[in-house]
Amino acid sequence: MAPGWRPAWLALLPRLLLILCAALIARAWLGPVWAWAVAAVGSIFIVLAQTRQLIALAVWLQAPETAGFPDAGGLWGEVFIRLSRRLRADAKAVETASADLSSFREAIQALPEGIVLLDAGQQIRWCNHAAKAHLGIRLPNDAGAIVGQLVRAPGFAEYLRHPDGIAPFVLQPQAARARVYELRVVPFGERNKILLSFDVTDAKRVEAMRSDFVANVSHELRTPLTVVAGFLEHFGNDGAMSGEERQHFARLMTDQTSRMLSLIDDLLTLSRLESEDAPASEERIDMDAMLARLSSDGESLSGGRHHITARAGGPGLRGNWKELHSAFGNLVSNAIRYTPEGGSVHIGWNGTFSVRDSGVGVSAEHLPRLTERFYRADRGRSRDTGGTGLGLAIVKHVLLRHQAALHIESQPGAGSTFSAEFPAWRLAE
Amino acid sequence: MSDHLSKQFDLELENIRTRILQMGGLVERQVSSAIDAFSTGNLNAMQQVVDTDREVDSLEVAIDEDCTLLIARRQPTARDLRLVMAVSRIVTDLERIGDKAAKIARMSQKLYATERHHFPPLSDIRHCGQLAIKMLQGALDSLARMDIDTARQAIREDAAIDAGFNGVLRQLITYMMEDPRTIGESLDIIWIAKAIERVGDHASNIAENVVYVVSGVDIRHTDDGGEKSGPT
Repeated sequence: MAPGWRPAWLALLPRLLLILCAALIARAWLGPVWAWAVAAVGSIFIVLAQTRQLIALAVWLQAPETAGFPDAGGLWGEVFIRLSRRLRADAKAVETASADLSSFREAIQALPEGIVLLDAGQQIRWCNHAAKAHLGIRLPNDAGAIVGQLVRAPGFAEYLRHPDGIAPFVLQPQAARARVYELRVVPFGERNKILLSFDVTDAKRVEAMRSDFVANVSHELRTPLTVVAGFLEHFGNDGAMSGEERQHFARLMTDQTSRMLSLIDDLLTLSRLESEDAPASEERIDMDAMLARLSSDGESLSGGRHHITARAGGPGLRGNWKELHSAFGNLVSNAIRYTPEGGSVHIGWNGTFSVRDSGVGVSAEHLPRLTERFYRADRGRSRDTGGTGLGLAIVKHVLLRHQAALHIESQPGAGSTFSAEFPAWRLAE
Repeated sequence: MSDHLSKQFDLELENIRTRILQMGGLVERQVSSAIDAFSTGNLNAMQQVVDTDREVDSLEVAIDEDCTLLIARRQPTARDLRLVMAVSRIVTDLERIGDKAAKIARMSQKLYATERHHFPPLSDIRHCGQLAIKMLQGALDSLARMDIDTARQAIREDAAIDAGFNGVLRQLITYMMEDPRTIGESLDIIWIAKAIERVGDHASNIAENVVYVVSGVDIRHTDDGGEKSGPT
């Protein structure tokens, strides 16, 4: 017996003594029968008092949160106090645990990756919001459904049975523009599984862009090389070639090699622009001189076939002359190349650099992708005009390094306006 | 779904449903990659669709045999019997849809094999194809969830595909009248459009079978389910 309970025993002692004394007095006055009767009545009183407290305890235990615990002294009071303390502590623990659980669930709900809990029969037990969107699961209706019946992609059932642990299952989209998901299975518990889904649309797109880029570069280099190789073969085989022919072929070959050189120059420029964060040096650029230079470059490219005007009337610009000259020059040469003979090209500067032409224009669906490498709005014509397909990518990178934004407005058949808007702190009086 | 005394019976029923849905998934991919290959001219994808058709055929035989075995061994009643009957009908529809996908792929191969690419505009057919894929998805989803509403929705969509087919037909007729040299290609394209229209009809059959399993009412050839209206 715990020693702490000795006072409780002692508290019982006075009552027992009282009953004993009463019984002895009754014996002395009335005889032994009365003594037993008095002792019995006293014991009954004690039992009744105990029973009353026991009933109070039972009543209180039915709804301990609402009713305050019964007021009782002595041993029973101690029991009530201890019980109610224990109950309060339990209630608090349950509250903390359920708060933890619900915040944990909320965190899983908020994850961008889809999570589905599967039991041994591959039935869905629970899933988060992302999984609902990725796999088309609808809770609570689909709880208990077999996941292979809802995700029917061929091969998925096999993967679910034997996940090899390394390669995820790729859920190919049904429609052309739908998103691509990667699925992974992780075993947990006895025979349960977690099915994870990741949205890999962007990663796949980057992958496709990279392989497109390699294919494009190879193609762009291959075409002129094929031409040169053909001529060289011709030179070797045909001994009796006139000097005039020879000169003609040499000129064509020079054209092709210079095209390859300019492509490689552009590629190197792009990779340099990408690898450095900021221009090497910055200076105050006299925009009047810049525009004069651009329009004379443009004149020589156009060869008098276009009407080129330039109008500078703005502040100077802080930046790297060489890079900006190459970016602006690209915009001007694009305008000239995509404007038919007799059209006009206007170069302007008033804090915003703009090139406006009356050329073929670009339709709206091509505009967002125009600055991608080798992106061609019209596959047929742009190679004839001699572009490398990298001009606008260079422009975009140079402008990014100067914190400028490139705006393109265009209407097919009515011409385009390319403008570069610089932040105020780059403009110097 | 329902509880039987024999757990094994439940398992076999669910197994049949899972297998037919997986066959459905394969057929879904067949149709969508056939239509995709038709619009992009990807010859490899076309050949792959034609080759995979054999897989669909063997699945049909295997699942049908499962159904027969289950009836023989378990003598299912009521809803279970309806499910097994419906599955053995759906399996035929799915196999036919697979055939149509292979047909679209073969016709596209023929179309792109000729060097002349004077195609009539194909966007309407592509649209019809997207509708048919969506409808097939809806029908299979309704089978997976045993959901009558989704099934009825899929049945209703068939009308849009029929309307689309009629539109394509009219367009091709004008095209052929303008330039008789395109008749050969136009006829091939009509076959493809017709195959897409049939995919819609079979998908509608599948959805009708789902309604039959769940409610016990056969809505084939009634106004309720929408009589499979042929193109007019």
